[in-house]
Order: sequence, then structure tokens, then C-alpha cells
Amino acid sequence: MRIPRLTLVVAFTVLFIYLTVPGQDTVRTVRRAKSATEPAVPTNVEPINLSGLKDLISKPKDKPLLVNFWATYCDPCRDEFPDLVKVDSDFRPKSLDFVTVSLDDVGDIKTKVPQFLAQMKATMPAYLLDVSDPEPAINAVDPKWQGDLPATFLYNAKGEVVFRAFGRVNTAALREAIEHLVKN
Amino acid sequence: MKKRTVSIVLAALFVITAAVIAGSGRTSEVPTPPAIGATIDEFSLPDVNGQEHTLKSLKGKNGTVLIFIAVQCPVSNAYNDRMEKLAQDYKDKGIAVIGINANSTEDVATVKAHAAEKHLTFTILKDAGNKVADKLGAARTPEAYFLDANNKLLYHGRIDNSQNQDAIESNDLRQALDSALAGKPVEKPEAKAFGCSIKRA
Repeated sequence: MRIPRLTLVVAFTVLFIYLTVPGQDTVRTVRRAKSATEPAVPTNVEPINLSGLKDLISKPKDKPLLVNFWATYCDPCRDEFPDLVKVDSDFRPKSLDFVTVSLDDVGDIKTKVPQFLAQMKATMPAYLLDVSDPEPAINAVDPKWQGDLPATFLYNAKGEVVFRAFGRVNTAALREAIEHLVKN
Repeated sequence: MKKRTVSIVLAALFVITAAVIAGSGRTSEVPTPPAIGATIDEFSLPDVNGQEHTLKSLKGKNGTVLIFIAVQCPVSNAYNDRMEKLAQDYKDKGIAVIGINANSTEDVATVKAHAAEKHLTFTILKDAGNKVADKLGAARTPEAYFLDANNKLLYHGRIDNSQNQDAIESNDLRQALDSALAGKPVEKPEAKAFGCSIKRA
């Protein structure tokens, strides 16, 4: 039986859109399954204070740095985490530094936070912000940031922010921005 | 003819894909909030019973507090009792407290049920299309705006410095209200805290 060409084109169009939209459930399932095979999971979460955070983002870098601010209580943070773990495993070998900073309560530093990171098979260095007043920390990272979570910042080797996302990150756009940095 | 059809379909495919990819990145584009001292325009939104209210009809004679709140955000929920107490404490002082839910993921029935369950008695408006959230540049929950009797923005930001009531060191919103009631300038008109991002439509 001969299938009309237009039908084929429409079918491929739908398939192409389905596969190229970031965050598809099927794509995520594949990513989770792959990341589950990765070994060496640190469960140690380091507390970080304001000066530690400032040092982390402003110290001279010899390679790009990605920082993700998140919390276990934040749904979109948990939702995007498998994508970020994949970003880490794909780009760390290409000279990307990636750290996560949890905004959970410091009382959760040995429980909820490492438990979630272990569940995600997250291997990037993990910190938990330990400050009584969050405002100086938010402004130190980016004066434009209102403190909404999650928030993701990509710094080039000069320490300049070249990509920022407030709310769930567009993984395709983030990967593109990292590709651009690690190529140059 | 067929070649032309294929070209049209491929062009449409390109445009649709580009639009979808561009659209999925809009989370970063929360409008800039108005500056302190700016006058907030009149607006109208429905409450959880579908009744329409204007800012003018709800505002207090000495000012109005607008707080963007959420049903599912644990940070916003940590402040339920504090927001209700704020509304009660300042009602007799002529300052009205109004909650606004702008999360597209939380429908009006859910917002109504949540308010009843958490004993929130102040008016809660549903900002289904982020009309007011965009106008105010609201990014997270909870996030507060204090307007004086003439709708001039006197304070924008957090309620206080900590989700944990035992760790409160800076009661920023209450200090702003008390300063205004005493006829004094607000010493700290902006203060930030972490919160859940508003899920825009």
C-alpha cells in the first residue's frame, strides 16, 4: 500500500517536535535510567556561609562554573535535578565545574539533603547555605535575583555570568550555553 | 505542487519548533518590579468565590499589603499563621492585607480549600493570567508589597528573614507598616528572601 507523501511529512513533523521539545517524559526516563548506572555518589553536604559563597562565585576560575540553587521542598528544583546530574556527567570531563547550593534548613544537612542527592546519584560538590539573613547572599549572587527557586547561574572563566535561569531551567538552552563556553 | 506542500510543512515545522524551544525558556523573564515610591495602578481580580474586586474596594484607609501566596509552596505555607496574624493585627489600624495566588498550577477551588484549611480569613484573589504578578514583577511566594493610602509603593520584599519563627531577627514588613503608621519613612524599603518561583501561565 502506498502512503501519501503528505501523510509521511506530517507524521515526521509530529515525531520531530515530540523529540526536540526539552523535558519530555520519555527523554527524562531515559536520562534517569542512564544516570542510575553512574558510581561514586558523595553524600557529604558542606555548610557554606556568606563569605564562603562569595569566594566560591568570585574567586579566579580557570574554567566555567555552573551553580544551581535548590531545596528539597521545591518541586521544580527536584524536577530539574536529573537533567542537571546529566549535565554534570556530560560536561565535567570537558572542564566544567558544577556545584549545588541547597537552601534547606541547616538541620537537614545530614538527612533530607544528602538523601535526595544520593537518590539522584548526584556527584557534583554539594553545599548548604548557612546564613541567618538570606538577602546579602541573594544580592551577592545577582542583584536581579528575587530569591525565587530554583535558580541557575553559569559563569565563564572570567567570572562573568553568561547564563541565568530563575525557575525551572531550560536544559537545552543551558547545554547550549555550556557548549559555547567549553568550546572557547 | 507536492514540493511546495513539503516546503510549507517544513517551514511550519521550523517555526513551531523554534517557538516551543523559545517558549520553554521564559522562566527567566519576570518583569522588573516597580521602583519604591512608584504609584501602583488600579487593578481588578476575582476572589476565590468568583466575585470581582478592585484594589480601591479592598484597600485600607492607611494602606494595603498585597502578598503573593501559594497552596503547595512550603515557604509560603510556613508563613500562613504569620500572614493571618498580620491581617488581624493591622485591620484596626486601617491597613488591609490581601493575598494573591498567581500560580497557574493551582486552580481557584484548590486555593479556596487551602484557605479554609489553613484558616486564612483575609481576602485572597486569583490572578489567573499573572496580570497583577507581571505588573508588580512578583517572582516568588511569599512576596509582599505595601502600598500607602495613595497606592504608592513603600515596601517590597519578604515578610521577615526566616521561615523558622524561632530565627526571626528582622521583621521587615511589620517594621515598614509601623513606620508608615507613625508617619516616618520606611528605613528598609526592600528585603529579599528565598521562596518558590511563581508558576506563570
